[in-house]
Amino acid sequence: MNTTTQLSDSALVSLYIAGNENAFEQLVNRHKNKVFTTILLIVKDTYIAEDLMQDAFIKAIHTMKSGRYNEEGKFSSWICRIAHNLAIDFFRKEKRSPMITLEDGSNVFNTLAFAADSAESLQIQEDTFARLRELIQTLPQSQREVLMMRHYADMSFQEIADATGVSINTALGRMRYALINLRKKMLKSNIAYDKNFYTE
Amino acid sequence: MIKTSTQNELIQYVYNELADDAREQLEVALMHDNELAEGCSDLLLIHHLLDGATRSPGDRAINNILNYSKSLSLQS
Repeated sequence: MNTTTQLSDSALVSLYIAGNENAFEQLVNRHKNKVFTTILLIVKDTYIAEDLMQDAFIKAIHTMKSGRYNEEGKFSSWICRIAHNLAIDFFRKEKRSPMITLEDGSNVFNTLAFAADSAESLQIQEDTFARLRELIQTLPQSQREVLMMRHYADMSFQEIADATGVSINTALGRMRYALINLRKKMLKSNIAYDKNFYTE
Repeated sequence: MIKTSTQNELIQYVYNELADDAREQLEVALMHDNELAEGCSDLLLIHHLLDGATRSPGDRAINNILNYSKSLSLQS
C-alpha cells in the first residue's frame, strides 16, 4: 500500500523536497487532469497541451528542488497558474490570440475516460462533455477566465479577484454569469441535461 | 427575484467557500425558497458537469515528467 495517498499536498511537497519520488508521483497523479485541462482549454491541441503540461511540472520540479517553493499558497493553485502562464506564453510566441472560436471537436476533444457503462450512455456523456468544452470557449473572456481559474486551477474567488484586479463581488458575478450562460447554451444546443443521468 | 448578494452566496456555496454561519443561513433559506433552491440545483448540476469535462493527459507525458524528476535525483 502506498503510504503517501492520504497525505496533504503540503506534506507531499516536503517529502519530495527531501528526496521521496513516490510523493512527487502522488502529486502529479493528483493534479495532472486539472493542469492538463487548464492548458487544453487555452491551446485546444492535445499534443501541445501535453508538452506544456510537462514544461509546467518540470518548472515546478526545479522550483521545489532548488528550495524556492513558497509554502504559503496551495500547490494546486500554484501549478495550475504555472500551466496557465505557459499556455498564454505559447500564444504570445506564436503570435496567436487565445480567444478561441468554436470548432467541431472531432480530433481534440474525443478521448474522455469514463467509468464502465453502456456504450450508448458513454457516447452521450462523451458528446456532452466535448460540447461543454466547446461552449466554455464561447463565453466572454472575463467569464471564461474566472471559470477556468476557479474550477480548473482551484484558485479561491479572493485569489482570482486579486489576480485580475477586481473586487470579489465582481469575480463572483462573472462566475455566476459564466455558469448561467453555460446552462442556457446547453439548453439551447439540446445537450443532454438530466440530473438523474449524471448522478454518480 | 433573488438578490444579487444571495446569488453570489450561492456561487460561494457551490464552491464550498461560504463561512459556516452564512452557509447555515443559506441552507435554511434553501428549504423555504423554491426559486433559490432551483437556482442552487442548476448551479450544482453545471458544477458537476464541469468536473466531468476534465481531460486526462496520456501516460507517456506523465512518465516523462516522473522520469525527469528521477534523473535529477540520481544526479544530485
